[in-house]
Parts: sequence; C-alpha cells; structure tokens
Amino acid sequence: MLILQTLSRGANHGYGIAQHIQQISNDALKIGEGSLYPALQRLLMNDYVIAEWGVSENNRRARFYKITATGRKQLSHEKRKFEALLVGIARVMETP
Amino acid sequence: MKLWNKIRNLLNREAFDRDLREEMRIHREMAEEKLNQLGTPKEEAHYAAMRAFGNPSLAQEASRLQWTFFFESFFQDIGFAIRMLRKSPSFAAVAVLTLALGIGTNTAIFSVINGVLLRPLPYKDPQQIAVMKENESLPNVIDMQRQTNAFSVGGGINAQPMDYTSGPEPLQIRVGLVNSGFFETLGIPPVIGRIFSEAEDLRGGPRLAVVSYPFWQNHLGGDPHAVGRPILLGGNSYAVIGVMPETFICPRERADVFISLWVADPKTAVDRDVHFLHTYWRLKGGVSLEQAQADVATIHNSLAEHFPAEEKERRMQLIPLRESLVGDVRPALLVLFGAVGLVLLIACANFASLLISRGFARRQEMLIRAALGAGRGRLIRTLLTESTLLSFAGGAVGLLFAHWGTRMLLALRPEELRWLTGIHMDSQVLLFALAVSMLIGVIFGMAPAFVAARTDVAAALNEGGRSKTASAAGHRIRKILVTTEVAFALILLAGAGLLIKGFSRLRSVNPGFNPTGVMTMYLQLPAARYAEIPKRTQFRRDLLARLNSLPGVQVGMITDIPLGGNYVEYDFVIDGRPPIPEGDEPKVQTLSVMGEYFRAMQIPLRAGRNFTEMDREGQPLVAIANEEFVRQFFPGHNPVGSRIRWARDTGPPRWITVVGVVSDVKHSGLNQPTDPAVYTPFPQADEAWKRWMTLAIRTDSSFSGLVEQVKAQVWSLDGQIPVSDVQTMEQRMAVSFAQQRFYMFLLGAFASLAAILAGVGIYGVVAYTAGQSTHEIGIRMALGGQRRDVLRLIMAEAAKVTSAGILIGIAGALAVTRAMTGLLFEVKPGDPVILAAVATVLALVALVACYIPARRATQVDPMVALRYE
Repeated sequence: MLILQTLSRGANHGYGIAQHIQQISNDALKIGEGSLYPALQRLLMNDYVIAEWGVSENNRRARFYKITATGRKQLSHEKRKFEALLVGIARVMETP
Repeated sequence: MKLWNKIRNLLNREAFDRDLREEMRIHREMAEEKLNQLGTPKEEAHYAAMRAFGNPSLAQEASRLQWTFFFESFFQDIGFAIRMLRKSPSFAAVAVLTLALGIGTNTAIFSVINGVLLRPLPYKDPQQIAVMKENESLPNVIDMQRQTNAFSVGGGINAQPMDYTSGPEPLQIRVGLVNSGFFETLGIPPVIGRIFSEAEDLRGGPRLAVVSYPFWQNHLGGDPHAVGRPILLGGNSYAVIGVMPETFICPRERADVFISLWVADPKTAVDRDVHFLHTYWRLKGGVSLEQAQADVATIHNSLAEHFPAEEKERRMQLIPLRESLVGDVRPALLVLFGAVGLVLLIACANFASLLISRGFARRQEMLIRAALGAGRGRLIRTLLTESTLLSFAGGAVGLLFAHWGTRMLLALRPEELRWLTGIHMDSQVLLFALAVSMLIGVIFGMAPAFVAARTDVAAALNEGGRSKTASAAGHRIRKILVTTEVAFALILLAGAGLLIKGFSRLRSVNPGFNPTGVMTMYLQLPAARYAEIPKRTQFRRDLLARLNSLPGVQVGMITDIPLGGNYVEYDFVIDGRPPIPEGDEPKVQTLSVMGEYFRAMQIPLRAGRNFTEMDREGQPLVAIANEEFVRQFFPGHNPVGSRIRWARDTGPPRWITVVGVVSDVKHSGLNQPTDPAVYTPFPQADEAWKRWMTLAIRTDSSFSGLVEQVKAQVWSLDGQIPVSDVQTMEQRMAVSFAQQRFYMFLLGAFASLAAILAGVGIYGVVAYTAGQSTHEIGIRMALGGQRRDVLRLIMAEAAKVTSAGILIGIAGALAVTRAMTGLLFEVKPGDPVILAAVATVLALVALVACYIPARRATQVDPMVALRYE
C-alpha cells in the first residue's frame, strides 16, 4: 500500500521509493531493501505497477515503477480497508 | 494474468535476473552517493550502503521467489540432490542399501499378509463360501444338498495318492476325488474344456478327468488339444475333459488331477460312514453364516435320527473359508510383521544417523550457502529432498529385494501354507512400499536436516568452522538412535533365539518310534458286512498273514496311528485300589493293536512281555501300558501283573492284566505332552463300533510298489474296502516340523539382519567419535599415551551405548516376546539362557563394530593427527 501510494504521486525508482517513505514518515518507517524488492516484484506480477528503465534526476540509469489503473484500484481498495481498521483501533483506544 | 506474467517471466528469466541485479546495484550506488554528499568519506559510504542494503543475494532470491512456480525449486532441489549424492556414492550406497533391506523385508512380509489376510481368496465371491469343519461322507453331502435351504451348491474333495502310468515311468500323483459340485462351489471354470456334469457324476459313469494346470504343463506337454487324451490312473484309463486355470488351487488339498468319486470309488462313495471329504458350501445370496449353521443343524438332526450308528456322535460346524485357511497362520504372520517392523526401524535409525554424520561433514557447505543467502527453510528443504530421494531409491531397491524375498518365502513355505499362491506384488504392495519410503524420507530426514541447518553463521565463523553445539546435539541424537537400534536388535534376536531353541527342542523330541521306513495307510471295514467282531478279527488276521508274506516287511496295525490326530479315551479302575466315585475315574488313551505293531514301529519294550498270537479272543484279557501310565498310576512300582478294567463296562467286571510296559509315544503331536496310554490286542478289545485301523508296515527296501501290493492284498480279501491316507511316518513327522522351521528361519534371518544393521550403526558412531578426536588422540599419543588406553577411551563410549541398548532390549524382549507364546515349544518367552546368549552375541557384534574404527584411530601418526584440521 505504501509503495502504491508513493507511486500514485508519480513514477519512481526503488531507491526513491525507499527514501520517500522514510522521509515522509519522519524515519518512522524504514523499508529494508530485503523486503522492498520482493514487494515490488509482487506488484509487478499482479500488474499493479509496470517497470521501465529510464534516467534518474541526476542522470543515472534507473528502473522506474509506474502505477497502473489496476494498481490505483487496488490502492483505493486497500486504503479503505486500512481506514476501516484504523477507525476500529481508534474506537477501541478511545473507549475508557 | 498472474499466471501469464509468471510464464512470461519464466521464458525471460535471464533478462529478469540481470534487471534485478542491476537495479539493486544502482540502489546501493544511489545510497552511497547520498551518504557521500552528506560528508561521509567515499570508502566508508560504500560499506555503509552495503550494510544498509543487507544481503543482496537474499533480497534477490526473495524477489525471484515471487515469480517462480513452486515446483521449479522442487526440481532444482532434486537436481541438486542427485548431484550431491553422485559426489558421495559410498554414502548414497550405504543409505540406499540400508533402507532397501528394511523396506524390502517389510514389503515382502506385507505382500504375504496382503495375500493371506487382506486380499480376497482366488474364488468366485469367496466370502460366500463356507467350510464344514468336520470331514463328511458323500451320502451326507448329497443329503445336505437335497435338504438345504441355505446353500446354492456344495462339493467335497478327498485328495489321495494314485499311480499315474501314462508317462515314461510310473509316478505317484495326487488325485482329488470330487463330486460335481466341487468346482461349481469354488466358482472357477476350466481354461480348456469343461468339468464333469451332474449326469456324469454317478456310479458307473464315464471315466473322465479334469487336470490341474501344472499337470497339463508337465505331463501333457501343455497340449492345447489335450481334451480327449486318455491318461492311466490307478490302472484305469480316464479321458481328459478339462484343464483348470493356472491360478486355480484347491483351498486345503493338493491335487494334480480331479476325478469323480462316484466313478473312481463307488464303494466308498455310498458309505455314509467314511467321513473323508473336505466339503465347501456356497451360501445363497442374503443367507448369513449363522442362518446356514442353523440349517445345517436341522439337517444334521434328521441325519442323526435316520442314521444313528454313523451320525449320532458327530457334529457339523460351518466356518468361513478364510478362517479355515488362515486360522493359526495369522498370529505367526503378525509376529513376523512386527519383526520386520523392528528391522525397518533399525534401518531408519541407521539412515538418520548417516544423515547426521553427513550433516556434520557438510557443515562448511551449509555455512557457505547460508552466508550466500540461503534461508534456513530452504536449506532444510534441500536436505529433506535429499533424504526423500534416498528413501525412494531405497524403496525401489527394496522392492527388488521384496520381489526375491517373496519368491524365496513361497519356495520355503511349509505344506500347510501351500495354498498361498496369490502372493505377488500388486498395487497395494507398491503403495505400501511407496508410503513407507515417503514417510521414512520425511520423518527420519527431518531431525538431521534441522540439526544440519542450524546455522548461526556468525557464531560458526567465530568458532573457526567447528561448531561444537550443533555437532554435540547431532551426536547425542545419534547415540540415542544407536541405543534404540541395539535394543530392537536384541528383541529380534531374542525372538529368533526362542524359536531356534524351541525348534531344536522339537527336533530332539523322541517320538517314541522310529519313523524311517514305515508306510502307513488307513482302512475301514464297511459296517454292513462287518457288524460282528469275529468277522473283523478274521479279516485282520487274514490280512496280516497275507501282508507278512510280502518280502522284507514287518506289519502291524493300530486303531489310531501316532500323529494321525485321533485317539479314544476310556475311564478305568485299578484293581485293589480304594473305590472312586463314578465319573471321577482317571482317563487313559486306549489303542488296540495287532500283528507286529511295536516291532514295525520300533517302540521298545521296557518291562514284561509283548503280545503274542495267544493273546486272542477267549484267552485272559491282557494289556500293555506306556511309561507315562506307569508314572502316573504306578509310581515306583512295576505294574506288570496288576489288573485294570474299563469303568463304563457293563456286565460282570472284566479284569485286564497288564503284561508289559512299552516306552512313551508322542501320539498327539511332537509338541504335545505324552498321555498315559494302554494298548490292548484287537481280538480281545474290539468294540462293536470300532471298525477302523491303520496299517503300519516297515520295509527294508523302498516304498515303491509297496502301496499297490498292500492294496492288492486288501482287495484280494475284500474288493470293497477303500484304502486311504497313505503316508509314510516320516511324512507325518515332517508336518510337525515344517511350520516351526519356516518361522524359525524367517525370524532368524530378520534378527541377523537387525544385528548387522545395529553393528553398522555402532560402527558409524564410533568412527565419527574417533574421527572427531583425531586431534586429541594425536596429543595423547605424542605425550606418550598407550595405544591401548586410547583404544579403551574410544570404545568406552560404544560400550556405554551398547550396554544401555542391551538393557533396554532385554526389558523390551521380556514384554514383547510374550506375543510369541503360541509359536514356541517348551520354551518360555523370558528364557534367561536365550536372553543371555543373544545379549552376548550382540555385545560381540558391537565389539567388532567399534574395534575396527577405534583401532584405525589409534594407528594415526601423532604428527599427522596434530597437523589435522
């Protein structure tokens, strides 16, 4: 979900995705590369993203991942599920 | 979609891997650059990035895993396992052989169990066939068939030896005298020709013969046009009308040729009193055995009413066919199955032990693979694949062993198990072997795999590649395994030892007579013409006189021959003893003899005199007792001159004087106790109903022709008297031995196998210990340690393991061998001599097994040992 959310803002490469998530979450979420790449492969396989070799901001060859329509659908689906879960947790936590 | 992507990926695997590697490298470089920009020195940034990234191969592997089909890694594993095993062929060979022995013996015994206890019998709807426990006469069979509501058809057979004289030389073959219902009841049609019709199965009917498949092959040359060919049986020409299929076998009899009882022996056929047929009955659909039994009881009552002389004292009892065949074989088979089960467990323990050693040997490899990014689960899976592969190979070779094993079993089986022909490998047996192999591979591969894959890379590297913890755990498991092996082997050896002791006891039993050179046959005088005793006595006297004219024979007769399964008991009273209330009188086996019975059987006289011609009707009544009778009723006295009488005699007391004592005879079987017995002369003691006798003829030449000569003499006196149950005394003895020998041989073989496997297990452990302590041994030797001390040091461990195993095994044997009680003769399951003996044998095996590697260990050059590793 986090990767799809990141990619929904625009195509990015593996390192960029990891950096983005780390920065936005104020270092709270650190995606290990050991799990990032398997996760990306899973997304690729399910056609949620497509990958293309391109050139990065500082002129480096990099593989860019782009979210697809199916990926967006999946993202909104997962978001809803996650929000429902958060609401549930919040209610439990707020009840004295 | 997913599948399609996977397939596309599969076809493009190389490009995919390249992309992934490239991408990850770029990732690290980007991280490195970033760190560099933040002020970290270049070198340091490189390593920091590497560290942050973690294990690239592992990440790559995990990524790749997302794409692969589950079976890809499976094939990979198998390929890898095969490569690894090819690299260490001796390990593979030992493992496969060990398992093959275990699986092979199990599969062989299972195929027997499958054939005997599980698979349907080779007849049509075998569950519908019942067997009359008692033998029947043909008139009874016919009346039953006429009156029954429970059976659709019934048939009987009596198999007896007959001369076959159409071949190049006269042969004695076994001929089944049957009625037409016999084949129909079993429901097996002939492969060629036909069987007798009811219209042909009657007195004076055509002489027709149905032949068995082996007879057709061996004597008729497998001639497809054999139907119509004449064969000479017992001097009469019979026309072959049919050939039974190869798979056909009589349930309990052995017969090469089948002919109609009505046609071949009409005088016996009509005799209700000759109960000599094994009868088989096919239940009508929906009729239970209980209903059939009730029906039989009704018929029996009516028969008893009409023919009290023949039928009143008899019983008719139905049992299912399988029970009549399997009966006493079942417990023996289960014991054997238990035995091979133990062999298999021992083999498995060895297998696991081998895998553990191999795990140690491959520690470096495992470490490297773990360091290169192989996950623990993946390592375990690889090892399991290897062990399963081995176990399947073991299973395959085991099937080969089982194939030979079952053949050997069939060749060796005793006469009572002769009907066991349907034993071969069918799908069930294959499935059994497959399941066993699979379970072994997974279960016994599991622990070694876990031990081997317990790779704490950092810790292991710190220890310089010698991880003591894992190897210690593995070694402990191995010691437990070997202890178990020794214990199981001891149980098996104890079982085998008991059987061997029982068998040798049985062999050394003195039957009380000399069976060599004695031919026996059974005669029964027809009730109608021999109602009066004098007539019978005359017949016997004449027959003996005629038989004595044959050259080189000693002839006697007795009511019931020893080992023939029959005897009669009378209550008796001893003269001059205090009176005993009626009904409480002691019993004694009573046998009537005539002629030179004791000489023909070579039963020695111990006291007094033998019977003479003068001990006849009208003379004082005499008897000869056996030693057991004296022991029980005249302890410490000479009974010669004492008098006894039958307690149930009516009329004035008829005292019988004991004139002699003969030695004991094992009448009811070699493994049965001797009963007190009293012999009386036929002319003095013949009861009105006692019309049968068994001839015992000792000849100093061969038996060939003897039977025919005797029959000729019998028939020259009375052409209407059937002669049956023609057997030598040695044949009667052999039956008592064969089964015991069979079980002894099998259990002995399994136990030896177990001992060898346990020895291999001990060898393995000691060899490993010795190998591990080469360093230590070297130091000791260098410091002047005695070779003998070092030897003792190494062997001490094996001694500990072995003695623990032996102790546990003895406890186990005491508990388990109780199941064998029924198979043992004069040996108690907990026989201390046997236990001590097998414990010694096993200790010797262990000694040899550990001496070899221990000695090798002490022979290392100290310098080499110190440089080792």
